[in-house]
Amino acid sequence: MEWLSYLPALSRGALITAGITLSAIAIGAVAAFAAGIARVEGGRALSLVALCYTELFRGTSLLVQLFWFYYALPLVGISFEPVATGILVLSLHVGAYGSEIVRGALQSVSVQQHEAARALNFGRAQTLLHISLPQALVEMMPAFGNLAIETLKLSSLVSLISIADLTFRAQSIRNLTLDSAGVYSLTLVGYFAMSLVLMLIMRLIERLVRRGAAFPRAAHS
Amino acid sequence: MPFSKIAGLSAIALAAGLSAAGATTLKDVKDQGYIRVATANEVPYSYMKDDGTSAGIGPDVANAVLKKLGVAEANWSVTPFGTLIPGLKAKRFDFVAAEQNISPERCKQVSFTEPNSSYGEGLLVKKGNPKKLTTYADIAKDPSLKVAVVSGANNIDFLRAVGVKDSQVIFITANADALATVQSRADAYAATELTVASLAKGQANVEQVAPFTDPVVNGKPVRNFGGFAFRPEDKELRDAFNAALVEFRKSEDYKKILGTYGLSEASIKAAAERKVEDLCAGK
Repeated sequence: MEWLSYLPALSRGALITAGITLSAIAIGAVAAFAAGIARVEGGRALSLVALCYTELFRGTSLLVQLFWFYYALPLVGISFEPVATGILVLSLHVGAYGSEIVRGALQSVSVQQHEAARALNFGRAQTLLHISLPQALVEMMPAFGNLAIETLKLSSLVSLISIADLTFRAQSIRNLTLDSAGVYSLTLVGYFAMSLVLMLIMRLIERLVRRGAAFPRAAHS
Repeated sequence: MPFSKIAGLSAIALAAGLSAAGATTLKDVKDQGYIRVATANEVPYSYMKDDGTSAGIGPDVANAVLKKLGVAEANWSVTPFGTLIPGLKAKRFDFVAAEQNISPERCKQVSFTEPNSSYGEGLLVKKGNPKKLTTYADIAKDPSLKVAVVSGANNIDFLRAVGVKDSQVIFITANADALATVQSRADAYAATELTVASLAKGQANVEQVAPFTDPVVNGKPVRNFGGFAFRPEDKELRDAFNAALVEFRKSEDYKKILGTYGLSEASIKAAAERKVEDLCAGK
């Protein structure tokens, strides 16, 4: 069957897609927590910086961001490798969305919890680390699961800055074979399979986080 | 932000800007051991085979010329046709081997070598050519007809020159889109004769318009002259490559490469007869 001959090239692309997606999720999570916590707990200046970052990256098109970092920034002498550009921009983009998830979940921790923490003489950092975050994390997980899968699908845009990901491979094979139906069908299956795996990973993390919240570590016993 | 920090940042930005302004020379490339080249994935001009190696008129000739220059390796990247020149200017690669037509507009942006190939225009239509098209001007005659072109390709200029309205044009991003497009949203796909021929080969639902009359612009039928594009500041590199290319054009190997990809004896001769200066000047 002809479709089988596409598999080696497509799987090479799928590996790149997986690598870029996982890196972007990891770095994006750091950005999301940094910006989200800064919005809630940071002082005025820090909170404003976080707000600017979130709105800038959430409010502009990811494709245009990629093109800007890839084609415009080098004109003033700042240039990153294609893969680094792709991971950086994708991370910042999903990190901006993630920061709103972090902010929302942190703010949903009830006032009484904060009052109780203060009554126990917890500092701000201790309250965040031992009271707010463990509860907020559980709230964040379903939304983060969504965002992780969204990241996988958004990663197809990096094919347009010459990164040989799954979509890029599909376009190349299609260009040679002119078989749009076969190539695109296989590519869809590829993305779906990867998103299933990603979903399972996120469920696993969610379970771990839930267990942690139900039995909080005895921080100050 | 304190002033000292701003000053520090601008100093870094300035230093980075200055380093970016330096030209890439043949020596740089040789020291580095490789040169970065871009193609647009257009069979048969320049494309990547599924094993990741480059092929096509542009890449095959480029590889031969680079070998003569003593450049050991070429790093190929594939990028959409419309981003070839932006990518070159952003230093994503050192030159473009995609047989871009040497046009006055492009000459303002990049520095071309002497022509590497010459080719005419073509039209891809549904099987049986239901609209009886024989040249680009036929599309202009009926405003209800739609024609597809690849975004960033120069065929749009020829279409406009013979009177095709922008409202009749459908932009696509790659040649592979053309097959589905001429069977649905467009009545024809305008591209070069070789592109159309390679798309139509073995297809049951589409065909290449034949006989086809090349569009007449400014009183003479248009021909394309494809060349390699370099950054204007890399003059030394471009000149070295150009000299080796002109030398290579005289060889049998060169004729063999172009022949393999379907270029006629006449087209091969035509390429060597035109000067890049004249093409840039619109002559």
